[in-house]
Amino acid sequence: MIIRIAILFYILTGIGFIMYLFWRDSRIVLVSRGLFLASIALHVIHTLFLGGQMNHVPLASPAQATNMIVLLASLVFVPFIFRKQTAVLGAFFLPVAGFSLGMIGPHLDESGGMAPALSQTWYPLHTVSVIAGEALFAVAFVVSVVYLIHERIIRKGYLHWTASGLPPLKLLDRILSVCLGAGFVSITAGMIFGALWASSLGVELSHIGAKISAGAAMWMVFAFSIHQRFAIRWSGGRTAVITIAGFVFMVLLFIGMNMAYPESHGIGLTG
Amino acid sequence: MNRIGCISVNYRSAPVEIREKLFVNPQDFQCICARDAEIYALATCNRTEVYWTGIEERAVLERMEALSGIPGETLLKSCEIFRGEEAIKHLFAVASGLDSLVIGENQILGQVKDAYRAALAAGTTSVFLNKALHRAFRTAKRVRTETDIGRYPVSVASQAVELACHIFGDIGQSSVLIIGAGEMASIAAIRLKERGARDLSIINRTHSAACDLAMELGGKPKPFEALREELARCSIVITSTGSPDPIITRAMMDEVMKRRRHEPIIIIDIAVPRDVDPEAGKCYNCYLYDIDALKAIVDKHITYRKEETDKALDIITSEVERFGKWVRSLDAQATIRDLFALMDEYIASEMGSNSLSPEQRAAVEQKLRISLKRFLHRVASFLKEHPTLPNIEQARRIFQLDEDYQDRHKG
Repeated sequence: MIIRIAILFYILTGIGFIMYLFWRDSRIVLVSRGLFLASIALHVIHTLFLGGQMNHVPLASPAQATNMIVLLASLVFVPFIFRKQTAVLGAFFLPVAGFSLGMIGPHLDESGGMAPALSQTWYPLHTVSVIAGEALFAVAFVVSVVYLIHERIIRKGYLHWTASGLPPLKLLDRILSVCLGAGFVSITAGMIFGALWASSLGVELSHIGAKISAGAAMWMVFAFSIHQRFAIRWSGGRTAVITIAGFVFMVLLFIGMNMAYPESHGIGLTG
Repeated sequence: MNRIGCISVNYRSAPVEIREKLFVNPQDFQCICARDAEIYALATCNRTEVYWTGIEERAVLERMEALSGIPGETLLKSCEIFRGEEAIKHLFAVASGLDSLVIGENQILGQVKDAYRAALAAGTTSVFLNKALHRAFRTAKRVRTETDIGRYPVSVASQAVELACHIFGDIGQSSVLIIGAGEMASIAAIRLKERGARDLSIINRTHSAACDLAMELGGKPKPFEALREELARCSIVITSTGSPDPIITRAMMDEVMKRRRHEPIIIIDIAVPRDVDPEAGKCYNCYLYDIDALKAIVDKHITYRKEETDKALDIITSEVERFGKWVRSLDAQATIRDLFALMDEYIASEMGSNSLSPEQRAAVEQKLRISLKRFLHRVASFLKEHPTLPNIEQARRIFQLDEDYQDRHKG
């Protein structure tokens, strides 16, 4: 029930910020900010409740992992929503968040392939780090989309009223850079924790090879983006394009891996 | 409403030679501003306007004539005169920027407010003009928020600044390079300074011209040889030289962008022929706009502003109507006051010629007053609810309140 109300609030907040993008009315943004805080509060309560029921971090299924990504990405968005210059980013993020939660909402209570026995020290660290990294990449993805839209408008030169509310390119680039940097550190740490967790269980590499390969491929995409960003100074548009491609690749991998290996996190036990 | 008048000498009706002689302020009119009269004067580079109430139009014209030294006949030919509702409509349109040379510009509202402050300090305005001016501010605010009339820049310089803001946000953090010391470049530089640009470099082939402009704008003059270094350092570039060949080429920009480590740069090329090779705009993170591109955008904005004018005029019409209601309610109140004064007169005359004891007199007077008040209350309520000019006129005619009322209100 709580998650349903949270989803409804996310959708209403998204509608509010879309309206704000077009009408720039301070009352709309005030209400939307309130709704956004309420959505997050309900989302946190539901996730804590779920964790309490399961007696460990609620990351035992793809639905729960997605739930956690949306929650962490929403938390990352809080400072943006409360800054005047970046508040309109909510119009791009919240509909996606609401839609994702709507899709996974009915399956949140279903525990996936993970057995409670797997909940050792390294497992929560591995999953939380990876999920936090993915959440930051999700934010980077949204910022990249806004960057490319705004850049296109600026190149044309006709600055319509709706576009005039978008954050300046330099600010978007800075947000993108921070999200990518922090996300990459988090994902890297997650991969190390994952390796430590697998080795602590004595898992054979052949059992988790596909998962490792997919994770490594995703890591490479973001490593490339980070390298170009910080070493060759590909700021702006190019970083945005690579981030979007990387994020789409990450989502496809996430869906593909969970369809092909639904119990990949449980392999350690059975193997 | 007919009590107000306006004499406007503006960019449509008079050349600058006449307008500049008419730079007046409210204090100049204090001498003709008698009791119950009000006057408000607005003088900008595009217009001089005088609004009045309770003064003869001729007196205002004569005063303007005396202040400017312009012969009366010439002055009459050079001005537009608005009376009554038209004057209010004109005031609201002026405050909203609809009567400006550049439709929708918002500087005029500040000037109208400044002139109002001066009028308040001089004590030349009172209830009527105070209300009219406050309504004008309100109308201007509505026009600005409810229409898109002032939303888009309509000058090449403002559009350039707007584009820079969209890329860099706070212009104060960005370095600006002005290439050329021409008028267009300096206008753009002034706009950038207004928006907070602090680090301004000026490059010109003639170094002394760069020094002069730098002095004027508070920037730093740089030798022409430092062009590459400055391009590598600055994020906003405005170029407007008279060079027949491009001074910024693709090869130069490739090198500059490498040195900048591909940090974004916006180049506004307002020179004809162009100072920047169009190919240079294809460099990564280089945003290049030439005069044609900017003009096309500005023209689009001007058309858009014109389209919004109808919406703005609707707002002005509704605000004029509201103001008219207020004026009529003032007239209704005056009529009601007169009615009750007439009642007092009537009671006094009735009570003056009788042989009643003081107690009896007081009792009769009280009864009479209550009865008449009840009777007049109906008329007063009707006038308060329907303060239209015909109703007020009718009431005044029936009770023979004054003979000259209609004359006054037909102006």
